[in-house]
Amino acid sequence: MAAAELSVKLQSSSGSKVKDFLNANLINILAAFLFLLLAFFLLYPIIMVLIKSFQGPSGFTLQYYQAFFSKNYYYQSLYNTLLLGVINTVVCLVIGFCLAYMTTRGPWILRKPLKIISLVPLIAPPYLFALSLIILFGRNGLVTRMFDLHWELYGFSGVVISQTLAFIPLAYMMIESTLMSLNPNLEESAYDMGASEATILRTITIPLLAPGLLKAALLIFVMTIAEFGNAAILGGRTPFLAPDTYTMITGESDFNMGSVLSVVLIAPCILIFFIHNYLLEGKKFTTIGGKPVASEPRKITPLIKVPFVIITTVAAGAIFVCFAVVFVASFYKILGVTHDIVLSNYLDFTSNQAIYNSIRVSFVAAIIGAVIGVLLAYVIVRGKFFGRTFIEMVSLSGFALPGTVLGIGYLLAFSAPPLKLTGGIMILALNCVFRFLAVGVEAGISKLHQIHIEIEEASADLGASFLTTFHKIVLPIMFPAFIAGFIYTFMTAIVSLSAVVFLVSPGFDLAAVKIFDAAVYGEIGIASATTMKLVLIVMICMMILNYISSKTRLGSSMKKTVAV
Amino acid sequence: MTTKGVTEEMDSKENEKPMLILKDIHKFYGSNEVLKGVSLEVRRGELVTFVGPSGCGKTTLLRLIGGFTDISSGDIILDGQRINDLPPNLRDTRICFQNYALFPHMTVAENVGYGLKINKWPKDKIAARVRELLEMVELEAFGDRMIDKLSGGQQQRVAFARALSLEPKVLLLDEPLSNLDANLRLVMREEIRKLQERLHITTVFVTHDQFEAMAISDRLVVMKDGLIEQVGTPIEIYERPANEFIAAFVGYVNFMDGRVESIDPATKNTVIRTEFGKLEIALEQDDIQTGDDVLMVIRPESVSLSIDCGSNRQNVLCGTLKTYMYAGSIAKCTVGIGAKKMIVDQYNPRDAQQFQNADRVEVEIPRSVHLLKKKI
Ligand SMILES: Nc1ncnc2c1ncn2[C@@H]1O[C@H](COP(=O)(O)OP(=O)(O)O)[C@@H](O)[C@H]1O
Ligand SMILES: [Mg+2]
Repeated sequence: MAAAELSVKLQSSSGSKVKDFLNANLINILAAFLFLLLAFFLLYPIIMVLIKSFQGPSGFTLQYYQAFFSKNYYYQSLYNTLLLGVINTVVCLVIGFCLAYMTTRGPWILRKPLKIISLVPLIAPPYLFALSLIILFGRNGLVTRMFDLHWELYGFSGVVISQTLAFIPLAYMMIESTLMSLNPNLEESAYDMGASEATILRTITIPLLAPGLLKAALLIFVMTIAEFGNAAILGGRTPFLAPDTYTMITGESDFNMGSVLSVVLIAPCILIFFIHNYLLEGKKFTTIGGKPVASEPRKITPLIKVPFVIITTVAAGAIFVCFAVVFVASFYKILGVTHDIVLSNYLDFTSNQAIYNSIRVSFVAAIIGAVIGVLLAYVIVRGKFFGRTFIEMVSLSGFALPGTVLGIGYLLAFSAPPLKLTGGIMILALNCVFRFLAVGVEAGISKLHQIHIEIEEASADLGASFLTTFHKIVLPIMFPAFIAGFIYTFMTAIVSLSAVVFLVSPGFDLAAVKIFDAAVYGEIGIASATTMKLVLIVMICMMILNYISSKTRLGSSMKKTVAV
Repeated sequence: MTTKGVTEEMDSKENEKPMLILKDIHKFYGSNEVLKGVSLEVRRGELVTFVGPSGCGKTTLLRLIGGFTDISSGDIILDGQRINDLPPNLRDTRICFQNYALFPHMTVAENVGYGLKINKWPKDKIAARVRELLEMVELEAFGDRMIDKLSGGQQQRVAFARALSLEPKVLLLDEPLSNLDANLRLVMREEIRKLQERLHITTVFVTHDQFEAMAISDRLVVMKDGLIEQVGTPIEIYERPANEFIAAFVGYVNFMDGRVESIDPATKNTVIRTEFGKLEIALEQDDIQTGDDVLMVIRPESVSLSIDCGSNRQNVLCGTLKTYMYAGSIAKCTVGIGAKKMIVDQYNPRDAQQFQNADRVEVEIPRSVHLLKKKI
C-alpha cells in the first residue's frame, strides 16, 4: 500500500538531515511537554501529600507520624486494611483460579456461561456489591426480615464479602490469561505418565502459574486496600485507612493527619509496584513450538470437581443475585419496606442531574485522556531520549495509586495559586485523566508496535515534516487506540468514586458520589436506580469497545489492560 | 508392566498377538467427522507410521490412543485389553507431543524422572534409571540443565528419554522431528529408529513428511480425510500405490493413460496402447486384464534419457527437452512429448554438458511399471 510506494522511493531521496533534526528535536519537545504534564498533575499532588504529612505550623515535624503510631485506633485501621487486603487477595485468587480452571479445562457447556458471569461485575461500579448487601442483609434487609437473621453486616466481614465479589473479575481475567497461555500438552504429558488430577495441579499447573498468580496477587492486594466505596459504606465502626482518610478531611478538616494516613496507605502500593515491575521482569517460562490451543475437557476427578463446582457456583450465584437485587430494588422506594412499584427513582431530578454531571466530567476526561495517552504512547515507543522508561513507569503508575491519595493531593495542590481548580469541572476531569492514563497509553503502545518505523522514516525521507508524518500516517493508524482509550477512560471515570469524593463541590454532585451518599443515608431506591443507570452506560461502552477491538484487532493486550 | 526382557521369553504364539488393535474408530468433533472408520493392527516391536496431509486426523488418532479424547465409536485394544474407557494415566501408552511438552520449571533429569517419581519409584532407583536413559540419548552431561538451555535436538532427545522412562507398551510420536532443521532431522530419525529397534518398542509414528515416513517405518499407513487409503511397507506403498493420490503423495510421478491390448499368459509380457504408441511392460500384478483402461505410474528416476531421436527401440519416445536443471548428483529435466510433459530425474548425470545444449531427446519407459486400474 502506501508503505510499499513510499519505501520504493526511499533510496532516491535525501532528506535525512531534515528527518534527523525533526526526530531528534520535535519528539523530545513533545516528550518534555508531556513529562511536565505528568509531573504537574500526577507527581506534584503526591509530593504535596508527602510534604503535608511532615509540615506542622512551625515547619518540619514528625508529630503527625508520632500521633499515628501512638494511637491504637490508627494501628487498628492499618491492621484492618492490611488484613482485608490479604484475605481478599487469597479469596479472590482461589475463586478466580477455580473459575479460570473450569472455563479453560472444564466441560465445554460450562465454559461460556461461567466466563460471562465471572466478567459481569466489570460493568458494575464496585460499590454495587455493598449496596446489594445492604438490600439483603442490612437492618431492613430482605434476608434480615424474612429469616429474622441478625448478622452484623456493617463491619469487617461485610467489607470482605463485597470487596471479594467486586474483584473476582480482575482475579479471573489475570489467572485465565495465564492459564490460557499454558501449553495444555504439559498437563497432558504429566497425565500420560500416570499423574492424577491433583498431582498435575500440584506439580505442573500451579508451579508454572506461580509468576502469574503472584502478579495477580500483588495487583489485587493493592487495589483492595485502596478501594474506598465498599469499606466506607459497609465499614461501620471498623476502621479502614481509605475511609478514615475521607472522614479526616471532610469531617475534621485535618489535612496533616489525612496526609499521614495517605502516605501509610500508599507505601505498600509503591513497594508492590516496584516488586511487580522488577522482580517479575522476565520471570516467565517459555516453551517451544505450538500455538496456544484451548485444552480439551478432561475427565476431572470428583475430588477436584466437587469443590471447584461448589466454589464457582456460589461465586457466580452471588454475583447474579447482587445484580438482580439492585435491579429489583431500583423499582421500590425501599425494597422490603415499601411495596409499591415506582418509577420515581429513575425520574429523580438530583440523580439525573448527577448522571448528567458525571457524563460531562467523564467526557472531558476521556477526550483529554485519550489525546495524552496516544501522544505518550508515541514518545514512549518512538522516542530515544533519556528517561523514557521513567516516563513510561509514571504514566502507568496511576492505577496503582489509591484514589483517596490522589484526591487529597489534588485538594492540596490545586486549591490555591499557581493553579486554582477547585470547585470546577476541570479538577474532576483532570484527576480522572491522570489516574486512568495507563490504559490509553497501553492501547497506544500496542497499536504502535504494529506500525513499522520504516513507514514513518520513508515518509520523512520524502520530505514530509514530522507533523505531516504524524498527522497523515501515525494518527490514522492510532485512531482505534484513541477511541479505545477514550471509551475506557470514560467508563472508568464515570463509576470512579474514591478520588472525586474529595473534589466535588456542594451543588455539583457526581453519580458515584450520589450513590455513595444515598447508600449511606438509606435511600436504597435512588441508589439502586442511579447504579442501574451507570451499569447501562458502562454496558454500552463495553459493547462499543468490543466492537472496535473485533474490527481493528486491537489485540488481546488491550482487553487485558481494560480489565485493570 | 515391563515388556523388555519379557518379550524374549514369550512363546511365538504370544508374539504373534498384535500389541495394538484399532477397530473401526470414528471420531466426531461436533458434527465434523474427523475419523471415518480407522482399523489397524500393530504388531509387537513394529514401527508403524501414519502419514498424510495436514488436517487428515493423525494427531486426533494419537490422542485417541493416548486417551486424551473420547472416541465416538469403535474399540482400542492394547495387548489384548480393551482400553476405550481408561484415562491416560492408567493406560500403558506414552505420547511425545509435537512441541515436546517438556516441563520448563524442571531440569533435564527431573523431566526424565518425572514419570518414575509419579509411580513412586525409590529415589536411588530413579537416579540410576535417569542416568541410564540420559546415557542412551547421549545427554549424560546435561542432567542439571534447565530445559530452555538446550538446543532443539537436545530437547527432542529429552522428550524421547522421558517417554521411554517407564517402558510403555506403545510409544506414540506426533511429528517428533518437525521442529528441527533439515540436517538434524535426518540424524534424529536414524537415532530414533535405531533405539526403537534396539528396545523393540512398539511405536506409532505420525508425520506429514512422506520421505521421513518411508525412511523410518516398518509399515506405512497413508491417510486422507480421516480414512486409511493404504497400508503397506514403504516399498509396497512406493512401487505399488493403490491409487493416484498415494502415488502422487509418496513422491513425484508421471501418469500416462493407456489401454491393455494383450497379456502373454506365460511371460506376463503386456502391451499397452497409449497416445504415443504401444509400450511393452512386464506385468507384476494380477488385477489387470486385457481391455482394461489403466493409468501407468512412471517414476521420474525410472526413466532414462538419451540424446538423439530416431532409434526404433521398444518403449522409447521422442520429445523436446524443455528444461534441464543440473544440481550435481541429480539433474531434473522436463521433456515435452506431444502435448504432455514428462519429468525425468537423471542420477549421476555424467554427460550433463551434452544435455544442456540438447533439443531433441529420447526417453525410455522402463519395463516395470505399476498400473492403476481406472474405475469406470
Ligand atoms: N479439539 C478439536 N475440536 C474440533 N476440531 C478439531 C479438534 N482437534 C482437531 N480438530 C479437527 O480435526 C481435523 C484433524 O485434525 P488433526 O488430527 O490435528 O490433523 P493432523 O494432525 O493430521 O494435521 C482438523 O480438521 C481439525 O480442525
Ligand atoms: Mg498434527
